[in-house]
Amino acid sequence: MGGPALLVIDSAPRAQHSVASILDQVVELLASLESRFSRYRPESLISQINQRAGSGDYTELDTEAHGLFELAGQLWTESGGLFDITSGPLRHAWDFRAGGKAAVENIRQALELVGFGRIEWRGTTCHLPQAGMEVDLGGIAKEYAVDRTAALLRGAGVTSGLVELAGDVAVIGAQGDETPWSIGIQDPHGPNSLCSVSLVDAALATSGNYARTLAYNGKKYGHLLDPRSGWPVSGPDSVSVIDAHCLTAGAVATVACLKHQDQAVDWLRDSQLPWLLCNAGMRPVGPIAGALSASVGGSQ
Amino acid sequence: MVQGQREAAVAAIDLPMKRLQPAGPLMRRLGQSLAILPAYQSATVLADAPPAFTEVGLRYSRYSEDSLERDKRIFGSEDRYDIDITQLWIEAPVGASWSVALDMQNDYQSGASPWFVGAQADSEPGVIMSGASIQDNRVEVGITTRYFWADGNAGFAISHSNEDDYEATALSFDASWNSVDNSRTWSSSFSSSHDSVRPTQGVIPVFIESDELDTQSVYFGVSQILSKTAVARIGLNYTYSEGYLSDPYKLMDERPNTHERLALSLGYRRFFIDFDASLQADYRYYADSWGTDSHAIELGWAQNLSRGLLTPYLRYYTQRQADFFDVIADTTKAYHADDYRLSSYGAVTLGARWSLALSDQWTLELEAERYETSRGWGLYSGEEAPALVDFWRGTIALIWRFE
Repeated sequence: MGGPALLVIDSAPRAQHSVASILDQVVELLASLESRFSRYRPESLISQINQRAGSGDYTELDTEAHGLFELAGQLWTESGGLFDITSGPLRHAWDFRAGGKAAVENIRQALELVGFGRIEWRGTTCHLPQAGMEVDLGGIAKEYAVDRTAALLRGAGVTSGLVELAGDVAVIGAQGDETPWSIGIQDPHGPNSLCSVSLVDAALATSGNYARTLAYNGKKYGHLLDPRSGWPVSGPDSVSVIDAHCLTAGAVATVACLKHQDQAVDWLRDSQLPWLLCNAGMRPVGPIAGALSASVGGSQ
Repeated sequence: MVQGQREAAVAAIDLPMKRLQPAGPLMRRLGQSLAILPAYQSATVLADAPPAFTEVGLRYSRYSEDSLERDKRIFGSEDRYDIDITQLWIEAPVGASWSVALDMQNDYQSGASPWFVGAQADSEPGVIMSGASIQDNRVEVGITTRYFWADGNAGFAISHSNEDDYEATALSFDASWNSVDNSRTWSSSFSSSHDSVRPTQGVIPVFIESDELDTQSVYFGVSQILSKTAVARIGLNYTYSEGYLSDPYKLMDERPNTHERLALSLGYRRFFIDFDASLQADYRYYADSWGTDSHAIELGWAQNLSRGLLTPYLRYYTQRQADFFDVIADTTKAYHADDYRLSSYGAVTLGARWSLALSDQWTLELEAERYETSRGWGLYSGEEAPALVDFWRGTIALIWRFE
């Protein structure tokens, strides 16, 4: 998945298998998810769909993939088109690794290839109607992998554990000594933690616009693009959300980062989940922010 | 509907632990897409784990029968039963795999009930009511323990109830299992009770001093998730009673000393995302060895509101009279009864339940219903029993959940 993974098993009193065998199952699960959903693997399901774009050949989605596409569609609707798994061509137009210098014509061309609503469906098979169109589950596959891993651990009898994949965390139960897991939220503007949240049987997902940036005409932008206009969004620097599952927390956080500040706050309020929103030049806001002590807030 | 319980506890430093609120509308809509994914189908640990919190509840119900119509009454009080029911319950987790519940109920009944049915001057049947108002208090106490494992749970309960003229002790055992993918749940239960009746000699003559009866009951059912928005269930129940089964307070009431009952129930729940509400449909068919059979159908609409759930419902019931029932009991037959509850009739209930979350820990529940019977609403033939009852029932409950 392109990021570090951390797995902690604190207590598994009713485990049917040894810890080593549980770890093997997790590794196998993650490898399997990667081989199916990674767009960097030519044999993956996602790559198959992308390779067949414009060919007329439909690709069958298994139950799991179908569920993830359904969620992607739901998010596309709920976010007013901001969250769009077909926005790959736009990213290429901006070419972030090359520092990002998009010619306006490139953006216009790329926009023709973007739009979740353009995906064609026949039952559970799908097809991208134009060559060059792409789907990418990058915005949800990692969080889903966290939840799958947590479910695997629970099924194996783990009653106290933690899964982290590149910053997205799910915890099982409380720690072995029955105190909650204490999970730090990264300060987007510095190396330290902003605060810690105590979690029991919950997940924390963070979405941010600060890790990769691009410069255009002397201005600095985050790497999240608005698939409707083609241009980078001026959204919050980072949003963290807590929910029972990482996938739903991550989905809410990701959509929040695609919106302007005020709309992001409305969206986060609608979710009725605990959230934290950080933007340069202001104090973090949100229900989680109530915990920040004055001294930590002054570290900026 | 198919989401796992939102059991996460969240706190930031210095704040006390709080529970996540139940899912708001946005999260419910997002959750629908996830329902087919294995990782989210009511997580095994949560679906079959003891409740994460302790629950204490207090409920008060008032049941009030309409007065008997003048032209249906020959003699006696026209006021019928009023019952005040107060229930207190506590349910708490014990360790990682058990829960314990204590239930206490007090019923205070006052009023008169039909003693027998006779012919009026115009040869229309009329009711002779028991004279002065009966006042009776019943207390019931029950304890249930439940054990949870990854794929299911099992419970054992014992209860005892006592009133001036009746005492009952019951034991029951139930178990349920989830299929591997949690889409199907099998449930079963068995119960046995022993009752003894010592009718109060008083206002109306009774002809037995004391007697007993035993009842055993078995239930088996399956519940199946049909799709991300629908669940269906089917169940079968068999009950056998033996002993003194007549009503000692009715002048002409002689029933067989065995009674077999079979009931088939079907249920369906469907969640509509666009309305943020569920349709609830239930059907029950009943038949017994006394010749009675009945159909009941209930439709409800559970509507999510900003802080609660409102469920209006409509129920229709129709019953065929027992073999030995007559409007005016025929005492030349070995078995005979004029109890309106054994007659042919149809009944309609209209009611609503409202569950309101007052805070994280407190919930208020209100319910009101109106029940009316008429022989004409029933599908089966038979003469109308003059003592058919209509009633109001109102309930208020306060529930406290905490860790």
